[in-house]
Amino acid sequence: MATAAQSVSIVGMIAGLIGVMALVAVNALFLIWMERKVAAHMQLRPGPMEVGWHGALQTIADALKLLGKELITPRDVDRPVYLAAPIVIFLPVLVSFLVIPFSQNLIIRDMHVGVLLILSFAALTVLAILMAGWASNNKYAVFGAIRSVAQNVAYEIPLLITLMSIILMVGSFRLTDIVAAQNRVWFILVQPVAFILYIICATAETNRAPFDLPEAESELVAGFHTEYSGMRFALFFLAEYTNMFIVAALATIFFLGGWRGPFLPGVVWFLLKVYAIIFLIMWFRWTFPRVRFDQLITLSWKILIPLSLANLIITAFVLKLV
Amino acid sequence: MLERGLEEKYYILNLGPQHPSTHGVLRVELQMEGEFIVKADPDIGYGHRGHEHMAENRTYLQFLPNLGRVDYLHALAYNQCYCMAVEKLLELKVPERAEFIRVITCELNRIASHLLWIGAYLLDLGAFTPFLYCFDDRENILDLLDRVTGSRLTYCYYRFGGVPRDVDDDFLAGCKAFARRLRSRYRDYENLVNKNVIFLERTKGIGIITPEQCVKYGLTGPMLRGSGIPYDIRKCEPYSVYPLFDFEIPVGSTGDVYDRYMVRYREMEQSLRIIEQAVDRIPAGPIMAEKVPKRIKPAPGEVYVAVEAARGEFGIYLVSQGETAPYRLKLRVPSFGNLSILPEIAVDTLVADLVAILGSIDVVVPEIDR
Amino acid sequence: MLLNDLTQALGRLNLAKVAPGEYHKSGCHLEVEAAPAQMPEVARVMLEQGCFLESLTAVDFPEHFTLVYHFNHFRELCRTVVHVRVPKEAAAPTISHIYPGANWYEREVYDLFGLTFAGHPDLRRILLPFEADFHPLRKKFAPSETPADA
Repeated sequence: MATAAQSVSIVGMIAGLIGVMALVAVNALFLIWMERKVAAHMQLRPGPMEVGWHGALQTIADALKLLGKELITPRDVDRPVYLAAPIVIFLPVLVSFLVIPFSQNLIIRDMHVGVLLILSFAALTVLAILMAGWASNNKYAVFGAIRSVAQNVAYEIPLLITLMSIILMVGSFRLTDIVAAQNRVWFILVQPVAFILYIICATAETNRAPFDLPEAESELVAGFHTEYSGMRFALFFLAEYTNMFIVAALATIFFLGGWRGPFLPGVVWFLLKVYAIIFLIMWFRWTFPRVRFDQLITLSWKILIPLSLANLIITAFVLKLV
Repeated sequence: MLERGLEEKYYILNLGPQHPSTHGVLRVELQMEGEFIVKADPDIGYGHRGHEHMAENRTYLQFLPNLGRVDYLHALAYNQCYCMAVEKLLELKVPERAEFIRVITCELNRIASHLLWIGAYLLDLGAFTPFLYCFDDRENILDLLDRVTGSRLTYCYYRFGGVPRDVDDDFLAGCKAFARRLRSRYRDYENLVNKNVIFLERTKGIGIITPEQCVKYGLTGPMLRGSGIPYDIRKCEPYSVYPLFDFEIPVGSTGDVYDRYMVRYREMEQSLRIIEQAVDRIPAGPIMAEKVPKRIKPAPGEVYVAVEAARGEFGIYLVSQGETAPYRLKLRVPSFGNLSILPEIAVDTLVADLVAILGSIDVVVPEIDR
Repeated sequence: MLLNDLTQALGRLNLAKVAPGEYHKSGCHLEVEAAPAQMPEVARVMLEQGCFLESLTAVDFPEHFTLVYHFNHFRELCRTVVHVRVPKEAAAPTISHIYPGANWYEREVYDLFGLTFAGHPDLRRILLPFEADFHPLRKKFAPSETPADA
């Protein structure tokens, strides 16, 4: 009996893993198309229209092209680190999918420490960027990597503190508990400041504009992934979009009630909300210019961290009094 | 070249010659300490084609198309300066209708140049969308000028004594329609760019140029007006029919990057005013002077003529010895003097600020290199 | 009036010629001729009066070079042209310590004409490659005889 239950859960895990890989791929496909269409319409032009209905198959065409490209490895790079970096950047993302509740029952592993798992693995992204920049043996890449590390470290702190305010209210790290606690009112109405802070930190954590200094095209050519081409570059790209999905999923779970919603099945509501947040993040990219590096760090240390700390303290007070 | 040797602790970084932010083929050699710049040394000449030498080996008329290639973004102003210089030596009087046409087309070109600069500058700062909005507006101008001159960018429309082709009522109506369209866009530009907090943070207080530096380096154009000096050749040394029009000279106060941006932005509106007044008052009449000699052989002498181009003062110093080709033709281009101040204002700035400052100088490298 | 102030100030320097110009013919209000050694003094006077250096170039004549300086003023229009005759093979004094903007103009004259400027802080070529060994704007320069780089 024990082995049967174990084997079912192992089969379940493997099925979940395959499902996650498929989701990552399809999600990236869809998001890249969505980004190009959103960017195009904001810039008064139609965007991809040729391949498939309104360019829907454009990403597949691009992926095929990237697959066919020559994998150029510059001669003086640090080979093991250089080759490992695109793979390492994917690990945290895949692990994070383990604990996200897509609907009431669609969750691979409902861990007690759900949020902690996601946040601790998110720190590995920084390591991968540093590996990529350093191993490339290129001044521009090193600059990009250094900036990225400083940025990620600076913005993780207010991110954590903001999420702590919600966790304090719910009393558990489990993601299903957090969704369940929003049965009467969504937390965005209870903690609007936290939501705004979270969105800003999330945009910075995923290296998206206006915080995309590590990839600043007009200054550093391409930042930490300057020396990567072909499929390896595609992996970095894929990781960025999947990171966006994770971060938007967290926003949905913490502030927008997760999979809750009338009429439609939970999964559909969850995905709708996630993509709405992603649309918001994309909107930022095509509207704002880039922030300068010292202004970025100042924003985090002098404004976001005090604000999020204040939010946490006020939450604690209110909870104590109520 | 920056001295190596003792400065081993500094980091040498090359900005260019292939780089998305140096508009044209320009190399700036930076000596950096971390993210701060200790020394910046521009290296020009990658696009030197020998225009001044060509001028000595071509007839006056054969050299006319060259001027459109010197600064391709405001080619008509350069055409105008050269035509004025030769007309001065020949003592030709340009008829009034031709002057009006020259002013209208030149101001349209100025707006196109400023629109492109705004779009490219914001692209340097990381905002992708204004670039396309500006180019959308610019397309209208290019279509208008295409119909009249036959080209979209490197114009060669003026001739000695006037203009070769007349403008029709469609063109004049098109100018007015364009003015209405650009004005309707101001609200978007104001809200999305001019009042954007990130843009203000990136441009206020950066790259300050004092009026004394302007005099010592001979800066002209929006670089100068951003620092508070209201020197515009259209008002201070008027030429053509500019005295007939009522327009202002936008001037900044602090001399930082933001002031230079606002000067260029507000100059577009002033150019629109000039165009509208000119379209309303353009007289009928001939478009070429009566007695233009077949072989242009000006009397011996020398002349210096200056016009206000989008980048600053463009001057031509022409020495004639009575031949069919000039003896010496010096093109005094505004970007040459404007760029020479970069080593002084780039010290102790960040790389991101350097990109903002370099963009605000509005360099067109082919005109520096000639 | 700026023209009068300039004429007075320059008159004290004992220059070869200080005369009003015909503006509608030549574009200049004041025409000055100076010897090469007097040029830094002229530049100092112009800077004191608040003029800016509009243009600096050279013209190649059979027996000498003529350096042509144009000065103007931001507040009051008064264009001054200064002609300085420099014998071939001689050096001209620099004015880049007075007008820093002249630094690049003098490098350009050196690059294209071969005229050296004594006292220039950084006299190297500016438009042509640093290793070039010809001066293209000299009248004797014949481009077709110079072999192009392979």
